[in-house]
Amino acid sequence: MNIVFKNFRRILINSGPLLLLYYLSISDIEVSFENTFQILSFNIQLIIIYYWMLKDADILGSGHIFVAGLINDVVMGLPLGVSPISYLVVAFFASYVKNVTVNTSLFTDWFTFFLAVFFSNIVFLIFLINFTEIQVKYIDIFYNSFFTILFYPFFWLIFNIYKTMMLIKQDG
Amino acid sequence: MSAGRDDFTIAIRSALLQKGNRQKFSLLFLLCLSIVIFFLDTNPNKFSTGFRSIINDGVYRVSSLASSPHNFFHFISKKITLHVTTYEENKILKSELEKLKTKNLDIQFLKTQNKDLLRILNTNIEGNSKQIIGRVLLDKNSPYLKSIIINQGSKEGIVKGSPVLDGKYLVGRVVETNYLSSRVLLLNDLNSRIPVTIGEPNEVSDLSGAVQAILTGKGKDFPVLEYLPDTYIPKNKLPIFTSGKDGIFNQGIPIGLTEFNGDKIIVRLFSKPNQLSFVNLKIINKEKNKF
Repeated sequence: MNIVFKNFRRILINSGPLLLLYYLSISDIEVSFENTFQILSFNIQLIIIYYWMLKDADILGSGHIFVAGLINDVVMGLPLGVSPISYLVVAFFASYVKNVTVNTSLFTDWFTFFLAVFFSNIVFLIFLINFTEIQVKYIDIFYNSFFTILFYPFFWLIFNIYKTMMLIKQDG
Repeated sequence: MSAGRDDFTIAIRSALLQKGNRQKFSLLFLLCLSIVIFFLDTNPNKFSTGFRSIINDGVYRVSSLASSPHNFFHFISKKITLHVTTYEENKILKSELEKLKTKNLDIQFLKTQNKDLLRILNTNIEGNSKQIIGRVLLDKNSPYLKSIIINQGSKEGIVKGSPVLDGKYLVGRVVETNYLSSRVLLLNDLNSRIPVTIGEPNEVSDLSGAVQAILTGKGKDFPVLEYLPDTYIPKNKLPIFTSGKDGIFNQGIPIGLTEFNGDKIIVRLFSKPNQLSFVNLKIINKEKNKF
């Protein structure tokens, strides 16, 4: 009984980032504080994807990233497939960085995350502007990306603590 | 040099094609799949529209359920704030009530006059539309789209373009219908364009003298008025109504009040787009458009 409970707890803790990713995609929790601060909005999903693909790709899995993107498109009212493409570009960058580096620090992660967000947004805009009639404000996307990059170290720290907790639970 | 290029290629190929212990699909496969889904969705056919409609209905319901704890806390915090500010609000409301009582008499007079004029003209300004109430399922403040999801769909006769009201005030129009739900594009969204009439109190009964414009969403709280006549002199606190020029909305649905802000005229909406719980939907009778 104790082993079953321990296994369940381990699975639950390991699934934490994935559950958070799905929850943020499906719920109407606002990651935008436009009502309080006009320009403050950021994309936690991109941070989750990048961090966990970089540190432990099996925690999320690219199939789940794809599904979370599709759900996000439905909830946001965007054409299906735009968010998965954007998320998968970030996942690709993380996977590439993981392949070519041995030791990473916060600053190397932060810099490569900047590139990942930059290319992810370019791909997102190319698809949205050229193939749909949806109008977007570039300045809003810029602010969104800026704050996503700015808040990365904060979430990096939280996820690092969580990752340490995961390892301790696994050892225990 | 050649070895460096090889390493780069290998790293990219590995990132695109590798599968982890628990991953069944490679990134390349999923990227291709996403692109195929995107083009199927942007070039809709009978199958993809039906499929998307089913997905939408399912996801909206689950999303509404998943958001309920968050919405509950939001509701509680709003209630507490409301209780704290009730005293001051009551004072303001009392003085406004007095003003409104005096205005009500003028409105009664104008209503009677309007009815008489319509009878003389033998027209029915309301048309063949009926109203139903919709509950807001989702209100995600996206940086890209200002829209809400409501729990009424094509089952109840909602069609694309149907006007959506909060009480008597226009808040947006339906842009996507599923069987059990619909998406409403709010007036402040960047993609929203509504033909409107700027009516001064003495011009309401004489629409020929009123100014026509397009109410354009800017992605912020307040939409702006565009395509105004060159000779138009902006004034503050003029009421804005739908003009009905698009042939979809009835004319005379109140929207908000003008406010001159620098070089543009913004419209303070009567109904706040981010404070909606229930909305009224005008169901357009298709028979009306047959000639």
